[in-house]
Amino acid sequence: MSVNFALWPSLPRSSYSLAEQYGETTIADMIADMIGATNEIEPAGGFRQLDPRVISLWRLNNAIASAVILLLVLGLWLLSSLGLFENLEPDIAVKPLAAVGLVLIVALLAWFTWWRPPRLYSAWGYRIDDRVLETRSGLLIRVTRLLPLARVQHVDLQRGPFERMMGLASLVLYTAGTHSASITVPGLDADEAVRLRDHLVEIGGDDAV
Amino acid sequence: MPSDLPDAGDNPKPLSSILEGRLHPLTLLFSISGSIRRLIIPSIPLLVFGSRITTAVIVGLMVALTVIRALVRYFSFSYRVEGSDLVTEQGLLGRTQRHIPLDRVQEISIEQGVLHRIFGVVDAKIETAGGQGAEATLSVLSRDEAERLRNAVFARAAALKGSLAKETEKETGEQSEPALSRVTLPERTVIRRLSLGDLVMAGITSNHLLSALVLVGTLWAFVDDILPESIYKRAANTIADATGRLLEQGARTAVLVTALLVILILAISVLFSLIGSVVLFYGFTFSTSGEDLHRSYGLLTQRSSSLPRRRIQVLEIEQKFLRRLLGLATLRADTVGSHSDESEERNHGRDVLLPVVKREEVDELLPVFFPDLEPEAPAWQQVSPLAVRRGTFQGGAVCLLITAATVYYQGSAWGLWPLVLLPLIYWANLVRYRNLGYSLGDRYFRTRRGWLGRSVHIVPIRKSQVVEIHQSVFDKRLGLASLVVDTAGQAFTGGGPQISNLPVEEAYQVARALAQRAAATEYKL
Repeated sequence: MSVNFALWPSLPRSSYSLAEQYGETTIADMIADMIGATNEIEPAGGFRQLDPRVISLWRLNNAIASAVILLLVLGLWLLSSLGLFENLEPDIAVKPLAAVGLVLIVALLAWFTWWRPPRLYSAWGYRIDDRVLETRSGLLIRVTRLLPLARVQHVDLQRGPFERMMGLASLVLYTAGTHSASITVPGLDADEAVRLRDHLVEIGGDDAV
Repeated sequence: MPSDLPDAGDNPKPLSSILEGRLHPLTLLFSISGSIRRLIIPSIPLLVFGSRITTAVIVGLMVALTVIRALVRYFSFSYRVEGSDLVTEQGLLGRTQRHIPLDRVQEISIEQGVLHRIFGVVDAKIETAGGQGAEATLSVLSRDEAERLRNAVFARAAALKGSLAKETEKETGEQSEPALSRVTLPERTVIRRLSLGDLVMAGITSNHLLSALVLVGTLWAFVDDILPESIYKRAANTIADATGRLLEQGARTAVLVTALLVILILAISVLFSLIGSVVLFYGFTFSTSGEDLHRSYGLLTQRSSSLPRRRIQVLEIEQKFLRRLLGLATLRADTVGSHSDESEERNHGRDVLLPVVKREEVDELLPVFFPDLEPEAPAWQQVSPLAVRRGTFQGGAVCLLITAATVYYQGSAWGLWPLVLLPLIYWANLVRYRNLGYSLGDRYFRTRRGWLGRSVHIVPIRKSQVVEIHQSVFDKRLGLASLVVDTAGQAFTGGGPQISNLPVEEAYQVARALAQRAAATEYKL
């Protein structure tokens, strides 16, 4: 199982061992991964991390989404306890089941709001040399994207209201690709994002479709 | 976006139109008949339920509107090749002018239905990378006019490229004048013509029902080899008994009718796919002229399309199961202009480059599409053998679930029959593993996959837009990853080149090699 890399003598070999990071995972680790209990993923080999403020941003965004969902669920619960769905209620004991369900939903939302963002943050990394942008992200499915900078069609700088509040920005790179037509790098410091965009536009050249 | 073409402001003179045209007068007839055809079904309720006078008024109004629209379209529509652009103009009150840069034209396709053929006219469609479908539809043009347009556009695009190179060389005021006079295309060379026999083969092998039947037959032969004679006999006896009992119950006719029905359905479906293939691809001719690839085909509606070969993003050598048995293959290609969501394109045969070709002849054909293809492809690299174990586990788990269900419902040991499939699952994964591989060349990246059918994807590395590595939780456990190369316009080649079950470090090395390589080469040839 070997590749002939003699064709690319100058090819930068990965300076960190992925097997060290991801290999030899046990089922316990997998579960830990899913519930977000343990381990940090140290970005190595020149990977840059996002701005740590992005954790608060994600928490804020997720808190809003969770609040909406929770309100809906509570509303339904309230309506059913007022007896509005009486004719729909089956014979079996629904109340304890509903309580368990509610606890589960709250737990899930809490995980989503509080524990997931820092883990997502540590999973995120990006690096740029003068030719390729490499990003990695994802908790359950880790995705690494390599984008030859010459293929960038255009670059967007996005700043939502909360992002502006926190001095953050997202960079969106568009390619002519079919499935990954755009690559987003979230949670960058606003100044850094502008600098990065200018750099990308400068070296992007005119070799798009 | 900075234009790399001669600027219209600097030298207006050489940019005078070399080709101007209007639609054929028959446009009127075609657009009116087209609109009326579209109106027939919506008007049925009107004709049935409405009173005579309202019906007459409404139908009259609609027809009048249609006629007016056709008239406006005919009299206001014009097109010309101006400088480096193809310009279309249309509209009476609000005039819409559309400039299509010639070097952005991906493909020009010409279509001629039966009615078109009677009058000797065609529809021409100009495709570019942006948007959905055709950028401009010229309907209808005379046959000669369409041919002239196509030649002019391609010759002009090529000439612009040439003159551009010249200009950068000596930077004189000579401009593109000499290039303008050369509006001739290189000779056409016919690469392949498909005979009626080829099309019949293509039709039969495209039949799904027949494929299923052959698959069952093959599996049966396989099972037959492994199983001891006694079990085989016992099963046959059981079937015979069951049939006998059925017959005793007077089910003779039912069985007979069912069998006949199955045969009839099969025969009809084979006949239909055969007729479909012949009608769609009759007289298929694949030819090249210089940089451009041409296809023309069709019995009733004749279609032809031209595309510059540098527009090919991914090439697929597809071998569905039946075709592989017969040593045949289909060539598919994605261009920037292809859109998978238009089922019309498939019905029109736009998705195939060559509907049927002998597998052993494909390798000789490849340089036609990729002139700089490495003559000796680098050796195929296999993926991790863990793929077999993993696939067998996954298939086995599904199989066990099914077994549990059958045992539960049948309530006897006979419910264990799905377990017979376990060796088959192992075998299938073994075959699939053996055929999973990639080959990383200097300029081209190839992947292959498939179990019963096979497919090979070839992507010019300079066409890759994004290289992705995915690692699921299970991948992580096994230290594996899958790699996907994303290019523009992936529509017809089944998702383009991708390979799973690579050892993770190897995946990263290949991906980085691809990305670095793509970044170092120019997308445009």
